Amino acid sequence: MTRILEAKGVSKWYGQVIAVNKVSFSVGPGVTGLLGPNGAGKSTLMKLITGQLRPSQGELTLWGERIWNNYPLFYRMGFCPEQDSFYDRMTGAEFVAALLRLHGFSETEVNQRTDSALQQVNLVEARDKKIGAYSKGMRQRIKLAQAVAHDPELLVLDEPLAGMDPVARKETIRLIRILGKEGKCVIVSSHILHEIEAMTSNILLIHNGQVLAEGDVHDIRDLIDKHPHHIYIRCSEPRRAAELLVAFPDVVSIRFHPESNALTLESRNPDEFYSRLPGLLLRHEIALEEITSPDDNLQAVFHYLVK
Amino acid sequence: MTGRFRIAKGWRDMKTIAYLTLDTLFWSKKTIFVVFISLVVLGMAVLGRLVLSYNWIRAPFTPAQVFSTLMSTAVIHFMVVFVTLFYGTALISEEVEGKTLTYLFLRPIPKPAIMVGKYLALVWTSVLLVLPTVVFSYLILYLRDDLRPFWEDAGVLGKDIGIVFLALLAYGAFFSLLGAWLKHPILAGLIYAFGWEGIVSYLPGFTRKLTVTHYIQSIFPHENAPASLAMLFGERTQAPEAVSTLLLMTALFLAAACLVLREKEYVLEQ
Repeated sequence: MTRILEAKGVSKWYGQVIAVNKVSFSVGPGVTGLLGPNGAGKSTLMKLITGQLRPSQGELTLWGERIWNNYPLFYRMGFCPEQDSFYDRMTGAEFVAALLRLHGFSETEVNQRTDSALQQVNLVEARDKKIGAYSKGMRQRIKLAQAVAHDPELLVLDEPLAGMDPVARKETIRLIRILGKEGKCVIVSSHILHEIEAMTSNILLIHNGQVLAEGDVHDIRDLIDKHPHHIYIRCSEPRRAAELLVAFPDVVSIRFHPESNALTLESRNPDEFYSRLPGLLLRHEIALEEITSPDDNLQAVFHYLVK
Repeated sequence: MTGRFRIAKGWRDMKTIAYLTLDTLFWSKKTIFVVFISLVVLGMAVLGRLVLSYNWIRAPFTPAQVFSTLMSTAVIHFMVVFVTLFYGTALISEEVEGKTLTYLFLRPIPKPAIMVGKYLALVWTSVLLVLPTVVFSYLILYLRDDLRPFWEDAGVLGKDIGIVFLALLAYGAFFSLLGAWLKHPILAGLIYAFGWEGIVSYLPGFTRKLTVTHYIQSIFPHENAPASLAMLFGERTQAPEAVSTLLLMTALFLAAACLVLREKEYVLEQ
């Protein structure tokens, strides 16, 4: 793998607080998801990667060069920050164009690239509207536009889907996947597992300032699957369902919730469990009303990994 | 990258930053306050003119005396200080508070170019707001049937414009440094301008030379009470030395601001 970003024992602390603690990893072309719950250290790591902060310890390099105060790197890097802040008096097009001028493009090129970037994020119609009048989703998209406008090789996107409506979310995920397929290095942060899963299978899990796992999401899932998964089922006949389900070899335990006609069970092989369950319930004419997994969120994944 | 290309790119970067900053500086609430100060100064000039024209006070007032008082009190020690304080401290601190600094820092331009570009915008905005006030005050006080005093004192007006410009440069650079460096730069600026400068410029000895106002007073072409009092305790600095010190101070403050911007980590709160 071509290494674009490399971290060797990187730490960052603010006074007594350690935000990132001796992390080492490398990132190559394609989309990499930076996953972690709120406060895990994702944003600090993003700021270190984009040279907004200087590592307190360790070495962080892009294309083999240190990042802090190395401004020529920004020809090759685009960043979509998490914070919802803009020069509100500017229109969307003025905002993108003003930042493009700082890359030294000619005025013709600035205009062409502005049009192209706005097209990529579907903001052509709102191009001449003041950013102050944009909706939250539009503001997210204009941030993305300024990040991609100069066609960088590395894109760092901090929670890019936050506040977007489902259509914009889908479009943005599609755009990120395309950029990854084009060979660009895209680092996307999120605290929502399925958002990242929709973009990539390559993830970096961070928790309490440390990298917990790095690599393919399926490998990490396998790791997690060694632990029993909690599955909550609400159905017409929970007791009968329990009798049938307890025969499954992967089911470890079952707990009833009589007040809500439901049960929670623990399975060591959730994929297999999910594939067998519909047929079983159909055969015995048990109506399934709800099935959820309390474990199907990032917090639970971390819980397993930390445990 | 050749040296010539570097300079050309640096200049272009600074211009772009300056244009970007001009918009945010000019169209801010501060401008309303600055325009208000400007109107107060002009109002004082109008009042002076009325006093002169209708002999409201039985004293031998001349346009030169009123203009001198206006320049020393309202313009140099008040308007220039407030304009540069408000705009200078805002250059970086507002980008930090507004969390827009990220957009500038993540562009392929050196941080000192950002600082200098912003400073150019500050100078341009301050000049645009302060110098017309000086010129209009002069016109209000001097334009009359007898134009001899108008032409005789035109040289003084020229000097005043030069001094105000130098003061804008020096104070602007100093307050830009505070804005880049401190979390609450306005308070520090007020303490400097109305505390330190107010006290130290009346003290004998060398310490008075650690103020911007000493060098401005040294080249000020008018006699005024505070300056005369201050000068009682020590010699004026010679004009060439005062001008070069003001320029040197400007360069040093600006260089320090560039260094702070380059080395400081700005943590933008989420």
